[in-house]
Order: sequence, then C-alpha cells, then structure tokens
Amino acid sequence: MKDKSITIKGWLFASPYLIYTVVFFLIPVIGALFLTVTDWNMMSPDIKFVNLDNFISAVKSPEVQAAFIVSYKFMAIILPTTLILSVGQAMLINSLPKYKNVFLVGYFLPYLASGVAIALVIKGVLAYNSVVNVWLRSIGIAIDWFNHPIFTPLVIAFMITWKFSAYYILIIISGLESIPKEIYEAAKIDGAKSWTTFWKITVPMLYPALYTIVILTSGWMFSIFGEPYLLSRGGPGYGTYTWQLSIYFNAFQRLSAGYASAVAIIAAIVTFASVLIIKRLARGWGRKYGWE
Amino acid sequence: MVGSKFKWSTIILYCIAVLILLAAVFPYIYMILQSLANWDQVDKTLIPSSFTFRSYVFLFKGGPNAEPKPWAQAFFNSLIVTLSCTILMMFTGLLVAYALSKLKFKGKNFINNTLIFQMFFPSIILLIPSFIMLEKFHWYDTYWAMILPKSVSLWAIFMYSSFFMSIPDEIIESAKMDGANNMTILFRIIAPMSASISTIVFLFIFMERWIELLWDMVMIRSEELFTLNVLLAQMFQTYQQYPGAMYGASVILTLPIIILFIAFSNKIKEGIQFVLK
Repeated sequence: MKDKSITIKGWLFASPYLIYTVVFFLIPVIGALFLTVTDWNMMSPDIKFVNLDNFISAVKSPEVQAAFIVSYKFMAIILPTTLILSVGQAMLINSLPKYKNVFLVGYFLPYLASGVAIALVIKGVLAYNSVVNVWLRSIGIAIDWFNHPIFTPLVIAFMITWKFSAYYILIIISGLESIPKEIYEAAKIDGAKSWTTFWKITVPMLYPALYTIVILTSGWMFSIFGEPYLLSRGGPGYGTYTWQLSIYFNAFQRLSAGYASAVAIIAAIVTFASVLIIKRLARGWGRKYGWE
Repeated sequence: MVGSKFKWSTIILYCIAVLILLAAVFPYIYMILQSLANWDQVDKTLIPSSFTFRSYVFLFKGGPNAEPKPWAQAFFNSLIVTLSCTILMMFTGLLVAYALSKLKFKGKNFINNTLIFQMFFPSIILLIPSFIMLEKFHWYDTYWAMILPKSVSLWAIFMYSSFFMSIPDEIIESAKMDGANNMTILFRIIAPMSASISTIVFLFIFMERWIELLWDMVMIRSEELFTLNVLLAQMFQTYQQYPGAMYGASVILTLPIIILFIAFSNKIKEGIQFVLK
C-alpha cells in the first residue's frame, strides 16, 4: 500500500516532464516519420504516400549534399579555432596577477549576443562603404565579403567562434583550476620548458574540459542557422548552406513538408553518427593520456 | 634587474588581455556608437564625431517614408515569452529533479533513460511536425506556440537533479518526521538551498530563450506577436537603408541580457563551478 502511494507521488512530480515528452516529443517524432513517406505540401487535403522517394531525392539533391559537406567544413574551421582561442584566453586570464574577474566577465560577454544583432554588426563593418573596405580598396584589395566562396564561410565561422569560445573559456578555467600546482613546480625543478609543460601537463590534464568542448562544438555544427540565413542565404553556390537552412527553406518556403522532414531525419542521423564517431576519436585521444 | 623584467612581461600580458577584451566587446560598443551616430556617418566611421537620437526616434515614430514597426510591442512580447518560459522551465525543473533525485519509485530508471535519450536527440526533427500540430491545436501564431513547447528544459532538470544529489537525505527525513509533505520540503527547504544554482539556471535559460530565432520565426506570422529578435531578423533586408535604427533595435535587444549578467556576475562564479563539473 505504502509502496503504491510513493510510486504515485513520484510519477506525479515527474508528470510535467512526462506530459511534455508525450505532446512535444513523442507525437512530433511519430508525425515526422509519417510525413517523410508523404508528399504533403502543408495545404492540400489529399496526401499521397510516396514510400522512400523523399529520401532518395534528398540524397541525390545538390542542396542536401551541400549541407552535408558544409557542416564538416565549418567543423574543420571552427573546432581548432575555438579550442586554441578558449585555451589561450583562459591561460591568459589565469596568469594575470590582478583583475582576473574583470577579464573573466568581459571575455564571457560574446556568449550573450543574439546572432541577429551580431550579424547586423558584421554586415555593417564589412559593408561596401565601411571603414574596413574603404581602407582595403585603398591598398588595392576589393572583397565582396558576403558573396565570396572562401571569405563568406570564414566570416560566418569567425562569428560562431567568437561567440562559443566565450563560453568555453569558463570550462577551461575550471579545468585549469583543478590541476594541482605541485605538478608544475615539480616540472620546473626538473627544468622543463614552458612549451613542454604545456603539452605534457596542461593539455593532458585539461582533457576532460577539451573533450566537452569538442563534443559540444561538433554537435553545434549541425544546427547553424541564424548567421547564414541573414548574411548569405546559404550562398554563394551553397557554400554556407547548412542542414537547418535546407530544412527551413524546404518546409516553410517551398512548403514541401514531406521532403523537408526526410531532410530533417537525414540530418539527425548524420548528426548522431558524426557525434558518435567524434566521441570515439576523442576517447581514444584521452586514453593516450590515461583517461578512461 | 629581475624585478623590472617581471614587470615588463606583466605589462605585455595586460596589453594583450586588454586587446582581446576590446575584441570581445567590440560589437556591443560598435552597435551603441552607431545607433547614436548621425545618419550620414553610420557604418562609415568607427567612432562617429556627431551624435543624435534620430535612430531611436525613427524606431518608435517612423520616418517620412516608413511606418513605425511595433518595436515596443516586440520588446514586450520577448519579455512575456521569455519570462513565462523561464519560470515554467525552472518550476518544472524543480519538480522533476526532486522526483528523480529524492523520491524512490517504480519507473524512475525509465524516466532517467528517456531524459538522457532526449538530450542527445537532434531536435530539428521536431520542428515541422510541431508546427503542424500547433496549427491543428489553433495555437499557431499565438503566445502559446512560443511558450508551451518551451516549458520544460532538460538541461534545467539535469542541473537541478545533480545539485539535489549533493543534498543529504537526512534533511528530508527529519523534515518528514516533523510532518512536512514533499511540496513543503521542495519549496521551503530544498529550493532555498539551491539559490546559487537557480541563479545560473535562470540566467542561461533566460538568455537562450531571449535570443531564440528559428522556432519563433516558424511559429509566428503576425507582426504584433514577433519577439524582438524575430522582428530584427525580419527587418534585416527591409530596413537596409536605415542601419542606424537597426543598431538601435540591436541595442534594445542586447542590453537587458548584458545588464542581467553583469548584475549577477559575482554570483555566477560560485554557480558556474557547479555547472561545469
């Protein structure tokens, strides 16, 4: 009797989560699976079943192939730069004798920015008549920043790096604080150079923090939306066309709900598999340092 | 000799630190300065030489060729949506976390496992079917579409339950001896003990909800229901010839979050240590 009442209480306390999960998770997931085998355009009353046609045409379409490549392209740029920037800035803050907290708060501020507001600033700073471009033209360089096969992805990658390394600094700082000072002192007595100390002590000891950053960043690469949506619309030539842009344009501008759902499921599978592989790789890297 | 060498390296260190700090706050400074710049200087100088409130007046009053957009309404919408979601997420977070960490019941493992599964589930799949479902519920283009689907935060549940784990069970047992029920224990004893973690949960959830773009863009069609972030995104192309006004709107969008974080910055340190563990 008592067992039963305790069980009811437990489920009662957990009920907000359970109701939420059924309504806003389970039903949509089933809905998505249903949509993918239809050709529904969000309006017409009759829905045709098309089997796996949506998946087949999605895999064949250049935009989905572009989205597949673009997410890894962003990862290749953003992952190393965020790692270097967040570790560098965290170590810089850590080595300051005074005013650490001022810099800690200041360096964190980029994380609070709305992608829309920052896109606006970047668009202004790199506008045709901006200070930067006027100066560049005066030395004979003219770049169309938002319609350039190399610079457009770089600008967007730079915005994302700027924002996320701000958060990762905190993770690295708390990782640095957990390294015992004695290790560094011992290394110093043994005459280790600071470069050696960094690679042989700091990096291995920071591994849990670095692992978190690698996983968070690579997961995030599959949900980039605002920056390319506002600045490049995925262009030029699908060069910044992300999964979320593809899903958004297909569902809410071309109104092909079935096809867009198929793209969403492919995106989810690719995300899941990629993060899993990266986790494996990162674990293997950790094992080299003796982490389990 | 050694002393002076030490000083030089410290000065260089601070110079680098200040340069990076400038890069970190540059967009904020830029948008504030440009929003106050004379309109013929916007985006053409880094530091304008003459200032005006014209951009802000334009935002709320419009200009000769432009009707004013509902910026004040959008700010209000952002506030309603963000505050409702944040309060709901914290409330549901407390309840569910209490169940998962302090109550023993059948099926707890099952709930724990679905929670972890969901955290790793790419949520992009949910966007289109949720949109269709909310339309069927007649919630499309209402506040409900922005609030209810964002009323539970898995992250908040996760944070609270790992914090509650560190609270000894004896406290709950002795409260139960005194005749307190679970609700009283949760809201009178546990919740006040969680003030520092609650601050962090509040700030992060508030910030994330405040700058949400894709969901609110898909779920809302009426201009008078747009959140500030969505309205700014929608005007991105339309207001291209009024960059000063756009910077003004960005300042209005960004400043509340910055002020909130700086106001709580001394409390963030202790809470963040826990979050990152």
